[in-house]
Amino acid sequence: MNIDLALFAYLSQYQPDGLGGRHARAMTFAPGTCISEVISELGLPDQPRVIFLNGKHAEESVVLGEGDRLAIFPPVAGG
Amino acid sequence: MRQMLRVDMTNLTVGLEPVPEEWSRYGGRALTDAIVYREVPADADPLGPANVLVFSPGLLGGTTTPNGGRLSVGAKSPLTGGIKESNSGGQAAHALARIGLAGVVVTGAQADKAARYLLVIEADLSARLERVDAWAGLGNYEVADKIAALRPEGDRYATISVGPAGEALARAAGIAVSDPKGYPNRFAGRGGLGAVMGSKGLKGIVISDKGAKSREPANKEEFVAATRRFSAALKEHAVSGTGLPMYGTNVLTNILSEAGGLPTRNFARGTFEFADAIGGETQRATIVERSGAEGVNDSHGCHSGCVIKCSRYWMDKDGHYKTKGPEYETAWSFGADCEIKDLDEIAELDRACGDLGLDTIEMGATLAVYMDSGAIPFGDAAGALEALRAGLDANDPRRIIWDGAEATGLAFDVARIPVVKHQALPAYDPRAVQGMGVTYATSTMGADHTAGYTVTANILNVGGTVDPLQPAGQAELSKNLQIATAMLDSLGFCIFVAFPVLDIPEAFAAIHEMTESFTGDKWDAGALMQLGREVLTMERLYNEKAGFTEADDRLPKFFQTDELPPHNVVFTVSDEELDTVFDFVPETARQMGLQ
Repeated sequence: MNIDLALFAYLSQYQPDGLGGRHARAMTFAPGTCISEVISELGLPDQPRVIFLNGKHAEESVVLGEGDRLAIFPPVAGG
Repeated sequence: MRQMLRVDMTNLTVGLEPVPEEWSRYGGRALTDAIVYREVPADADPLGPANVLVFSPGLLGGTTTPNGGRLSVGAKSPLTGGIKESNSGGQAAHALARIGLAGVVVTGAQADKAARYLLVIEADLSARLERVDAWAGLGNYEVADKIAALRPEGDRYATISVGPAGEALARAAGIAVSDPKGYPNRFAGRGGLGAVMGSKGLKGIVISDKGAKSREPANKEEFVAATRRFSAALKEHAVSGTGLPMYGTNVLTNILSEAGGLPTRNFARGTFEFADAIGGETQRATIVERSGAEGVNDSHGCHSGCVIKCSRYWMDKDGHYKTKGPEYETAWSFGADCEIKDLDEIAELDRACGDLGLDTIEMGATLAVYMDSGAIPFGDAAGALEALRAGLDANDPRRIIWDGAEATGLAFDVARIPVVKHQALPAYDPRAVQGMGVTYATSTMGADHTAGYTVTANILNVGGTVDPLQPAGQAELSKNLQIATAMLDSLGFCIFVAFPVLDIPEAFAAIHEMTESFTGDKWDAGALMQLGREVLTMERLYNEKAGFTEADDRLPKFFQTDELPPHNVVFTVSDEELDTVFDFVPETARQMGLQ
């Protein structure tokens, strides 16, 4: 199963290719993988985060599907 | 007893007067509102001598309260036609409060339209008007240099000024306030208050606070303890302690684009393909690279006493200061909304607005409307800059751009004009962030994101979670945030303290503890919220007298008919729900003895 993964702000350093940057990367996971398993595999720090799946908020328990775009942000705000 | 300085621009007199006893708990937005409500007839010409321009630090301005140095500027708005409080960072609020001024009230207007005046307020509270006709037409940066040349060596001071747009009575003109380094780059931007200042013949204000100390609290021990708890909460929360200092406000560009709520191409789409190129992460990396190291230009407070430090300086390719930030709203307005994908080009437009004295939100939104007319293509940064500067010639037909998005859209026959109460919408599409639609529609200020920032619960998961794409809960969320914001604006706090305050109960408690221990008066959570309701009640009643009705509390129709990609949503909060936001006003008005 292929998904697009984008990590933002200081989470971008956790991209497995080590290249940083916010552009989405194509990644392959076993069918049935849920968001929390992706987070665990990436080794993201244990802190609150904001997760968008295809542009909508998603819980970490959600199971990913082929072609999904997963974007993860640390807590951010501004205005 | 608190004092304020009254400046009569008709007769060129200045004098101190006491703040009326019934306003002893009012500062900042509450005080500017109270004065405008009492002194400016609702049918007054905003650009005539009957309008009154008020500058006020918050109730806790001039103290050691963390992030407590914001400035409220109030008047009747020449853009909206209603009451206006425009809020700015910079050093002026602390300077005014430290020398003992709760406000500066500017009345009347100079009959001689060629006359320009500088109001000089010394640290000993002596004040005078100096004639500076030769400064006519100068940009804010040059005015800052002229003021510097007038000041004695070793002085410490803050400046407030208008550029050519304010002098030209442009309805999108803002008022510049100097930052800790003296750059005139913080703005009371919205609502055309620069034109009010220009209409009075007042080109600038300088406030010296040399030798002035922070104001003394009534109960020092409790006050210091509460400020420490508050400061700790601001540093502990991930948003105010890490995200904002590291990336600044522009950290929002990527997340709003991801959520489909970043207005792009004059509100035609909710995502911008080049969001990352104009976002906070790219901005930080560029500033650090051009400055040669971290910690040089990439994080500082816009006023002393700030512990969040979300400000930054944009450096040009040669490593020289160009402008502030740019802040998120500016990166959005000139960036995504105009489809300009280069931060240097955005910074050039930001600098031009800073010098001319124009609101960057209104100008970006206006240039996007102008591009939508076909006059210049989207993405044309050079064309946008030329159109922006064209207003320097009063006879150029593009001068109307300085009057904002609505005036420009009508003049150039554009169908989609994103305004409420004649003021342009900021950087969150109300179809994808429905709570912001409620705030835009109902705010007494016209479309204003700061009035009730529902992006917190809608997008950022701060202070709870409310689905941004659904109408449920949005009116209640907006109402509560509008009340809380009016309170924070009156105490003089930066509204970014709301992020930890919404999540950390001790941070909210610290606000009334600081207020109570500083003033020596009884304050609690209920009293703070009552202050917010009183502020909104004055504003609402004023706007009613100025002719606003429920029909003015609506978004432009296209937000209900034109689906916004990528979620293909429209704004669905009902009119009935919008009309519940100010349901507390009649009761609060009775409590206040207002009709």
